[in-house]
Amino acid sequence: MEEGNSIIYGLEHQTRALSPQYGESDAIRFLIGTQSLKPNTNQVHVVELEEDTGALHTKVFKHDIGEIWHLRCSPHDAATLMTTHNAYDPDTCQCTMGVSIFKLPTTEVIPKDLDDLSAIQGRNAEDMELLKTITPEKPEEEIRCAEWHPTDSNRIGIVLDNYVSIRDVNTGSQVTSVAPEGRARLKFTGGKWSPQGHCQFAVLQDTHIKCFDTRTDCVKSSWHIDNAHRQLARDIDFNPNRQFHLASAGDDAALNIWDYRNSKEPIFSRTDHSHWVWTVRYNTYHEQLLLTGSSDARALLTAAASICDLDDEGKRLSQVLEDGVLQSYEQHEDSVYCAEWSAEPWTFASLSYDARLVLSRVPRHFKYKILL
Amino acid sequence: MGDSSNDNENPLDIDGSNFNSEMYLECLLKCATLRQVMDKEAEVVTQSQFLQSEMQTLVYENYNKFISATETVRKMRSDFQIMQEEMNKLSENINNITTFSAKISDNLKESGNNVNRLCSTRQLLDKLQFVFLLPTQLNKAIQENRYVDAVQDYTHAQRVLQKYGNQPSFQSIQSECLEIICDLKKTLRERLLTPDTSASELAESVGLLRQLQETDSSLQDIFLTSAENRLDQHLKNLSSIVDSADILEWVEKCNNTLLADLGIIISCYHDLFEDKEMVNLPEFADKIMTQVFQLFEENVKRPENIGTEILIRGLDKFFRKLQAMSEIISSEPISNKALDVVIQSIKHKATLQYETIQSQFKENLMRVRQSLASKGTESADLKDILNSLQIHLMQKIQASLLDLMAFLQNKLSFGLKSWCGKAVADACWTVISETLINLSEMVKTMASLQTSNNISFELLLILAKLCLEMHENGVTTLHNHLIKLMEESAPGFAIDKRDTNSVMVHLSTAAQTALDSEVVFIGQTAAQMLRVSVLARDWLRAPEPRGPRAVCRRVVETLASADSAASQLFPTSVKPSSDSSRRTIWSRAPSSFSPINRIFSERIEVFSPAGADRAALSNGALKVALKALVECVRLRTFSRHGLQQLQVDVHFLQQRLSCMGNDERLLNALLEDALASAQIRCIDPQLMEASIVDIICERG
Repeated sequence: MEEGNSIIYGLEHQTRALSPQYGESDAIRFLIGTQSLKPNTNQVHVVELEEDTGALHTKVFKHDIGEIWHLRCSPHDAATLMTTHNAYDPDTCQCTMGVSIFKLPTTEVIPKDLDDLSAIQGRNAEDMELLKTITPEKPEEEIRCAEWHPTDSNRIGIVLDNYVSIRDVNTGSQVTSVAPEGRARLKFTGGKWSPQGHCQFAVLQDTHIKCFDTRTDCVKSSWHIDNAHRQLARDIDFNPNRQFHLASAGDDAALNIWDYRNSKEPIFSRTDHSHWVWTVRYNTYHEQLLLTGSSDARALLTAAASICDLDDEGKRLSQVLEDGVLQSYEQHEDSVYCAEWSAEPWTFASLSYDARLVLSRVPRHFKYKILL
Repeated sequence: MGDSSNDNENPLDIDGSNFNSEMYLECLLKCATLRQVMDKEAEVVTQSQFLQSEMQTLVYENYNKFISATETVRKMRSDFQIMQEEMNKLSENINNITTFSAKISDNLKESGNNVNRLCSTRQLLDKLQFVFLLPTQLNKAIQENRYVDAVQDYTHAQRVLQKYGNQPSFQSIQSECLEIICDLKKTLRERLLTPDTSASELAESVGLLRQLQETDSSLQDIFLTSAENRLDQHLKNLSSIVDSADILEWVEKCNNTLLADLGIIISCYHDLFEDKEMVNLPEFADKIMTQVFQLFEENVKRPENIGTEILIRGLDKFFRKLQAMSEIISSEPISNKALDVVIQSIKHKATLQYETIQSQFKENLMRVRQSLASKGTESADLKDILNSLQIHLMQKIQASLLDLMAFLQNKLSFGLKSWCGKAVADACWTVISETLINLSEMVKTMASLQTSNNISFELLLILAKLCLEMHENGVTTLHNHLIKLMEESAPGFAIDKRDTNSVMVHLSTAAQTALDSEVVFIGQTAAQMLRVSVLARDWLRAPEPRGPRAVCRRVVETLASADSAASQLFPTSVKPSSDSSRRTIWSRAPSSFSPINRIFSERIEVFSPAGADRAALSNGALKVALKALVECVRLRTFSRHGLQQLQVDVHFLQQRLSCMGNDERLLNALLEDALASAQIRCIDPQLMEASIVDIICERG
């Protein structure tokens, strides 16, 4: 993959689910879930970029349980993944959503021999092992997303319309639920575990961000950022290195970074997109790099160096990057709903609704600036 | 004489001296008849006889006189002999007197010398007495406060004392005198230092001290310290009335007390010390004047002095006095400072002006907001409101410029100075630029607060238009107006061109912010309606469509009302506007969802800068609303009827919205995208016949 050139991978159906594979630090490997209402057409694609050759290898798995709205690989086991899916039942004239956990037969994607190669070229979808399917208590309930607990491999958090259900993976039963008091009418749009708190789950409710401690009665938020965006808040991501910092994106086209101990004003804010921002991700290794995807059909690589170069006493270290957009990735032609960093620090993928995956690299001169 | 010459020449005149009897006779005989000759003869005979007798009388008389004279002479001769004798006696006597007098003067010479000696002794004694009495005299004089006499006496005696000071008897006197004079000096110094001595007393004391041969520098110090004390007193008085007196009163008081005294002090100083180098004075004067200026500025800032007329009059008085002062002091900093005071006052005035304008504008704006809020969207004549706001603003600015021109009146002491002209021009420009920049800032803040604070979109449109108007015409008009005013008030004063660009940039960015905000506001309002309606509905169980949903009508209404408001202020230009955003979204046949189609069409920037044009504004709002519809549709799942309902809605929107904006491709592309997305999200994607959709829309 040369400088500035991105690799594009196309799929057959609409897509809005993307996850990097965790646990394999050396491989650039992404999983994509398709979204199609036609029965038995949905798939999970595993895409791996071979760094040495720049070749792209894929494997396809069947996902007949329904269209995929959300996909997360397990941080505890590279071969395990979790999808949030939806299926139409013609008998009841109703859609039912659920969360399923699968295990891939192998994490290997790059073919080892010619047989492998021909099998892959045939693009015959393979089967995955379904470990568990968890359904909401009421069948018509909508599930926004499901997230793995960062340390406890038996826990997952499922965000529904107006509450968060913490489930045990093995039994599928609800351990506890999070539902804020009052304001129940404001629906949740998403949520995430806080990586530091271990038991804290942050949810997006309308324009607000609220974080609940799952060990308590989960009625009162342990912290919250009211009116984090002027329109709907769409996504958050926690700073992997710096406690208390988190990034949020929303329908006001803004990318905000907050220190949630002081939730009045964002410590960093940019409005570089020209429509709703659907996703925001911190680079796992270099917290000054942020990736955003928006329905203006762009993915932006943004530097928030000014707030990351402060040491513990608030003194400014040498600032290597200017704040602002480092690069705009314009290869998409429809809304970008997902963008993810790979396990390798300099590569990322963005996925648009028109089923186009774009694998890109941080431009080399920025990379050198950060490293040197 | 003529007669006599005639007589002389006429030999015929019988009484003349040249009478020639023969000629006369000849003539007579020739000319006269015999009878006449006869008569003439008789006449001449009578005349001769008469003359004869007369001559005899005369001779007798003379003779008598001669006899009497002879007798007198004889008498005199006898008298002279007596006289001679007496004269001899007299000369003898005189000789006697001379000898006597010589004897007497010989005798008197000795005693005269004695008297002279006595006299000089007496004078010396007098002097000595004066010297001996000097201490008491001095004391007395000092007690009676006749310091001048005392000093005079002392200076008289001083020489003697110095001359004879080594003699023991004088030594005591001298030391006594010195003591007294020391005391005197001390009292004088004390008098200098007491604050209630008047300036003239002060000068007198210093003069005396100088006569007593005090060294200059210490005297200067003392003089200045005491003067400072006095002036401090004045300063205190002045500062105590700073908050209560108006400027005229204050300046009057300042001129009469402090500055007058300062003048006296300074001129005294010059008289007394003839200090050519002026070491201390400027510093001293500066110190005092700085405080005066401070007080003056405080006074100027009082609210009572807002009236230009009173301010100018006070300033004029003050400046005149200062100019006079600066001539006396001839201190560069003070005259500079005097200019500075005027300039500062002008600036201060300008600041007040634009602050007033701003607050008035805010009030106006508040009224406009209230009237907009109370009227509702229907009837408000935005153009009217805009005009009244704009005219009011322009008038206020122009009025304040005119007001500032009062500083350039001829009659003022600083009126026609070029520095004053410059200051006024600067101040005027400050008023213009600050007002406009404030306006821009205000518009920007209002525009960025749009969600939390309900500023109506009409107001945003008005403000945007106002900024644009000011940007296009207002700035230049005001600039020209300023130049004209300056030419009228200060002819010949070369006014610099002002940098109108930065103001214009402020205004245009403010206008842009307001327009963007308006577009987003309208767009979001419509988008919110669509979003809620799409997300809340159960599209899987939707009944067969019977007409467009109510929300579509509301969306159309919202967009239409914004469009009509925009049309009042931003009439569409004849040529199709160049929308700042790029063109149409990939338009494609709803049935085929192929990325290929998108490659050939351009991207839509949804939140993009809005053009100052009705169509561009509407385009902007449409984009925001319809893109939201697309995104929300993609989050739902549709049944066949749900899809058809959306088809009807889209058709309805297309019909009603196509009259707004000028970019039908944009509208169609977005609506097609919405419909295509719904088709993708549909479990049974079958569209209705276009004709049926038409009928349903008509019916609805």
